[in-house]
Order: sequence, then C-alpha cells, then structure tokens
Amino acid sequence: MQGIATAAEWFIGLFQQGGGVFMSLVTGIIPTLVVLMTAVNALIALIGPEKIDKLGEVAGRDGAAYYPLRYIVLPVLACFFLTNPMAYTMGRFLPEKFKPAFYDAAVSFVHPPLGLFPHINPGEIFVWAGIAAGIETLGLGLGDLAIRYLLVGLVVIFIRGILTEWITSVMWARKEAAA
Amino acid sequence: MDKITKFLERIGRGVGGVVGALFQAGRESIDQVITNVMPFMAFISMVIGIILATGIGDILANFMSPLASSLGGLIVMSILIGLPVLSPLLGPGAVIAQIIGTLLGVEIGRGNIPPQYALPALFAINPQVGCDFIPVGLALGEAEPETVEVGVPAVLFSRMVTGPLSVVLAYLASFGLYS
Repeated sequence: MQGIATAAEWFIGLFQQGGGVFMSLVTGIIPTLVVLMTAVNALIALIGPEKIDKLGEVAGRDGAAYYPLRYIVLPVLACFFLTNPMAYTMGRFLPEKFKPAFYDAAVSFVHPPLGLFPHINPGEIFVWAGIAAGIETLGLGLGDLAIRYLLVGLVVIFIRGILTEWITSVMWARKEAAA
Repeated sequence: MDKITKFLERIGRGVGGVVGALFQAGRESIDQVITNVMPFMAFISMVIGIILATGIGDILANFMSPLASSLGGLIVMSILIGLPVLSPLLGPGAVIAQIIGTLLGVEIGRGNIPPQYALPALFAINPQVGCDFIPVGLALGEAEPETVEVGVPAVLFSRMVTGPLSVVLAYLASFGLYS
C-alpha cells in the first residue's frame, strides 16, 4: 500500500513540476507579450503594410548596390509588417533568380528580433525565450542579448542572401546546360 | 451649421477608425496567444517538468553542457542540425529549436553553461530555420515550379555554410556580454 502511495505521489509530482513551469511562463511572458503585440499590430494597421510593396519592386534590380536593400531592408520590413509566414509573399516582386535567396534571408529573420518584437513570430517565441529564461534565472538583463541577437541576425541574413543567390545561379546554369 | 456637422462627422470617423484598429490589434494578439503561444507553453511545460522531475535533465545536462559551453561544440551542433538531410526534418514549427533552446536555458540558469554562450547558442540551435517550409515559402512569393526545383537544394546547401558561420559570428559578437 505504501509503495502504491509513493508511486502515485511521484507520478503526480512529474506534472506538478510542469505546472509550476507553466505558471511561470504564463505570468512571466504573456502579459507583456499581449500588450506589446497589441501596440505593434495597431501601429502596423495604422501605417498600412501595403506601403512596402514599392520597395519590393526596387529591390529586384541587378547590381551590387541593391544587395543590402534586397537581403537586409526588404526582409526586415517584410518580417516586421507582414510577420511569419506572410513575409515571404514579398518575394513576388523579385525576379525568379532572387526568390530562393530572398526566402532564405526572410525566413532567417523570423527569430532574431523576438527579444524586441515578438509579434513577428509569437508561435515560435521559445527559440528566443528558452535561452533567455536561463539568463533571467541568473538575474542578468536581457536587453543586451536581445539587441546583439538582432544585429548578428542582420549580418547573417545578408550573408545568407548573397550566398544563396550565388548557389542558385550556379545550379540554374548547370541545370540549363544539362537540359 | 453644415460645416460643423461635417467637421464633427470627420472627427467621429477618424476616432472610430483608430479605435477600431486598436481593438482589432488587441483581438489579434489575444487570438495569437491563445491559438499559438499557450499550446506551446503547455507542451514545453510538460516536457521540462518531466525532464526536471525524473532526473533525465541531469543526463542531458552531462551530454549537452560540454557541447554548448565551447565554440567548437556549438559549431558541431550547428553542423549536425544544418545537414541537408536533417534540416528539413528538424524544421517544422521550430519545435526542435525551441526544445533544445529551453533545455539550454535551464542549464544556463543552473550555471552549467556560461551565460556568454547564450548568443552563439541562439544561432547554433537554428541553422535549420525554415528548411521544412522552402516550397511553401517560395510559393507564397509566387515562384515558378522551376525556381522551387533549384531553390530548395540551393537554400539547403547554403545553410551548411551559413549555419556554422552564424555561430562563429555570434561568438565574435558575444565578447563583453555578461562577463
């Protein structure tokens, strides 16, 4: 009898621990998240996300000068205003040869801003919040980490855009040579 | 008199529009939190609760902490996750990235992983971002089927390079963070 009781306590203990984690997540993350997302969503609605369409048309031009526009400015604005997954629809303004690279850059930017702009991808917030929770447990501030995550993210999407564009062009040429 | 009513009507419309946008923004955030964020919190809490309560966490910690506490280990992690065969399988919903991130966060909180590794770790858990979604993402950008055919492998190959590279960049950018 004693054994069964101990086993039952152990069993329920598994979920009590989980309940504690859930409680801390709900009270620690959701209140700020809801208010912040409301503010940003309202801002986006008032500005009008269709304003960035023009930029998409310019960003598709050839030439090195348009790289930062195509793989930094456009993905960042697309992610901010259209959020995941609608951000990738901005690719429709670009020529076919740039579309894979733009997708690569845009999809790589749905996590780095999560520390500051969780509205971009709230369903995947734990990519950021999981590690951030550990920093908070230590009593350290999150601002520095959030900013650095975003800035390194900018550099990474730029590199991804350029490299993927190059790989796409090489593979395209090979495919056409084979055909 | 006519002018005054027109003026009042315009104010009324303007205020109504803004309030409507704000209310809609609030509704969107609450929807997002309930449909996307909270279910994931429930799932993460269960996993973390069981891991902590059963002691699996200590086994995982012994395995993961050394890997996540050095630049070499994080690069190895990013190479594994970024393999073109694995990355599309690990991508969906960023579930893997979120679980690993949360586990690493727990270890950072316990002091088993130094906090300055948080930044490179954020990139090491995420070289597969969006790799499961390339055809859909490209379709959202109205890409031709030929573009998808070339674009999918192009992005996957590109990640093999930019995955580990992003970890190195994040490591370099983490100097002076929490130390």
